Amino acid sequence: MSSEPLLRVENLKTQFFTESGTVRAVDGISFEVNEGEIVGLVGESGAGKSVASMSLMRLVEEPGEIVGGEVTYKGETIFGLEEGPDGELRERDDMLSESEMRERIRGREIAVIFQDPMESLNPVFTVGGQLREFIEINRDLPKDEAKVEAVRMLREVGIPDPEDRYEEYPHQFSGGMRQRVLIAMALACEPNLIIADEPTTALDVTVEGQILDLVDDLQDRYDTSFIWVTHDMGVVAEICDRVNVMYLGEIVEQAPVDELFYETKHPYTDALLDSMPRPDRTVDELDPIEGVMPEAISPPSGCRFHPRCPDAREVCTRVHPDTLEVDRADGHPHRAACVKHDVFDVGYDESAPLEAGDEAETDVGGAATDPEEDPETPVEEEQASTDGGERPEGSRSSSDHRSDVGEASEASRKPENEPGGGESRQ
Amino acid sequence: MGLLRYTIYRLIQAIPVLIGISVITFVLANLAPGDPVRLMLQGQQADEELIRTIEQRYGLDQPLHVRYWNYMTGLVQGDLGYSIHRDRPVADLMLERTGPTLLLVLSAYLFAILTAIPLGVIAAKRRNEPTDHISRIVALIGVSTPSFWIGIMLIIVFAVKLGVLPSAGLVYPWQPPEAAGHGSYLEHWSETIRHLILPMIALGTLQMATLMRVERTQMIESLQEEYVKLARAYGVPERTILRKHAFRSAQLPIITIIGLNLSTALGGAVLVETVFAINGIGRLFIEAIQQLDYQLIMGITMVLGFMFVIGVVITDISYAYIDPRVTYGERD
Repeated sequence: MSSEPLLRVENLKTQFFTESGTVRAVDGISFEVNEGEIVGLVGESGAGKSVASMSLMRLVEEPGEIVGGEVTYKGETIFGLEEGPDGELRERDDMLSESEMRERIRGREIAVIFQDPMESLNPVFTVGGQLREFIEINRDLPKDEAKVEAVRMLREVGIPDPEDRYEEYPHQFSGGMRQRVLIAMALACEPNLIIADEPTTALDVTVEGQILDLVDDLQDRYDTSFIWVTHDMGVVAEICDRVNVMYLGEIVEQAPVDELFYETKHPYTDALLDSMPRPDRTVDELDPIEGVMPEAISPPSGCRFHPRCPDAREVCTRVHPDTLEVDRADGHPHRAACVKHDVFDVGYDESAPLEAGDEAETDVGGAATDPEEDPETPVEEEQASTDGGERPEGSRSSSDHRSDVGEASEASRKPENEPGGGESRQ
Repeated sequence: MGLLRYTIYRLIQAIPVLIGISVITFVLANLAPGDPVRLMLQGQQADEELIRTIEQRYGLDQPLHVRYWNYMTGLVQGDLGYSIHRDRPVADLMLERTGPTLLLVLSAYLFAILTAIPLGVIAAKRRNEPTDHISRIVALIGVSTPSFWIGIMLIIVFAVKLGVLPSAGLVYPWQPPEAAGHGSYLEHWSETIRHLILPMIALGTLQMATLMRVERTQMIESLQEEYVKLARAYGVPERTILRKHAFRSAQLPIITIIGLNLSTALGGAVLVETVFAINGIGRLFIEAIQQLDYQLIMGITMVLGFMFVIGVVITDISYAYIDPRVTYGERD
């Protein structure tokens, strides 16, 4: 663990201001990426992974906007706010300007591998030309040298006959080959950090395997750091050093990869792992996560996962857990946002379980729980009432009692039985 | 090689279209009330004998299908027929009159393209800002105002009130300067441009308005493509994205519109030529209809039809040039 991380993200918030309300796509996430590391960003569709990764490069598009937090890359402020003399938040003076972002950061320092190989290449320009242009811009090479470099990179990522393929158009490439081109673009600019936004999702498994091997190999050679955005725990296990699990715009668990898999601290991570098909289990034994992820426009009160959580208790509907350190492994913190851990001290053990079954009784800090299929009905009902009952207030209330532990435990002393209980305190 | 073969192939495909045009026009022209021979001899006393002789001479006593057959066999041999009213071969008249019309239509298109594309791009870039709203209003006015009215207004303002531009006629750039009484080519050509400005705007405004809206829509769509996001993520300047990355793929529909609107442009030319007293095909056409000059009507329709078909073929060819996914029907 080096002294200063390559990238530090603190309490980053990105919101979309839509006509039907504010969508809190990324709601206060913090993580770090050290040099040479592959950091995973895992979660279901809609958890805010892609928005988070685009926020790191300040490429969030209208109506989205980064509204808070700090992103520091190599000591430079990519995003940061401060309070102005009028009390309003304003951009800090040391925050990089838009042109500095374009000229110094995007492509040159941080590159992205896009997730859709079919749409991400421009159909009216040659593959080689597009690659060459990015090399010219980000490595200050003249045209002819950039072309040589482009051909070399195409060969590097395993495209046969790169000289001929250079002149071809994207429609002449297969999906896997296009994905390789996108990877070549990122690597060719020689950035220090690559954000890979589900780069293998659109590919079939054999190609995915090849691409992962390729990235592993190239990462060894160039020592590039990666942020690997995915929903696939299998991929995470294969390549990541450390993992951040995202749920509804928040990081709910953060740990080195082995700890995450063997010492799981958050029920959501458990659920993700249990829903992963494995050769030693039949389809019947799979435990898919119940329900669907609520929309970020009106997240549930308290812990956002509680309507789907097998371990949920009454306290979970009221207390919004921050992501706190619950364990330590090899000098790396293992953080989780679940009040069942001792460090939260909000009365989880005394709180009444939300479910009929007893299996939700879990030791604080205990290992993986194994929920059975029965308790799904009450969970779904609660979710429905949460969604329907407090839609207009929901987002506000959860932000109001986003709180430190002290405040949360104070809140926990008030008896509240309804899932939408947060509303009544306002 | 692919290009030449493709062009020939497309031209062969156009033959049935041209035959269709010829049948419809021939029937319609002959169904119109009135007798061309009597119209030709307007006012003069003529006995039935003379009329019958004239009819026989031009084959007008034959049944319709025979006359059509005769016309088509002549056409295939390059004979566009003979204008009985003007007593000249139709081909000669067409040769005289095609130049001004082509000059007018092409300059109107040039005007439309050169204004519409930048304006459309700017409107897309500044979407829902004042610039966009103004361009929307301009486009709406442009689409809904008839070209002859714009022409008359332009004449009133620039020719009559301000007196800065001529209101009638054209100066043909292919003529020697002496023929128009000009001392040098410079003077000659600047006169050409001065004479062209008003009719060009009158005819081009509709095209400009249409193209501007299409360009805006296409650019907005194009600017949201993943590959534009990719370019941004790799630090490509916004200017380059606008001019290169988003621009090129947005031009495909523009080309289609240009090709298809050739028919409205040629139709508009008829009115604009009349307003600006330009001796083009359009004016000739109106005169031919008034005089029931069958052969001339046929000749003009066939030539206009042919020009339209050529326009569509050029459209398709440039389509394949811009979009690499479109090929000239080759198999590789």
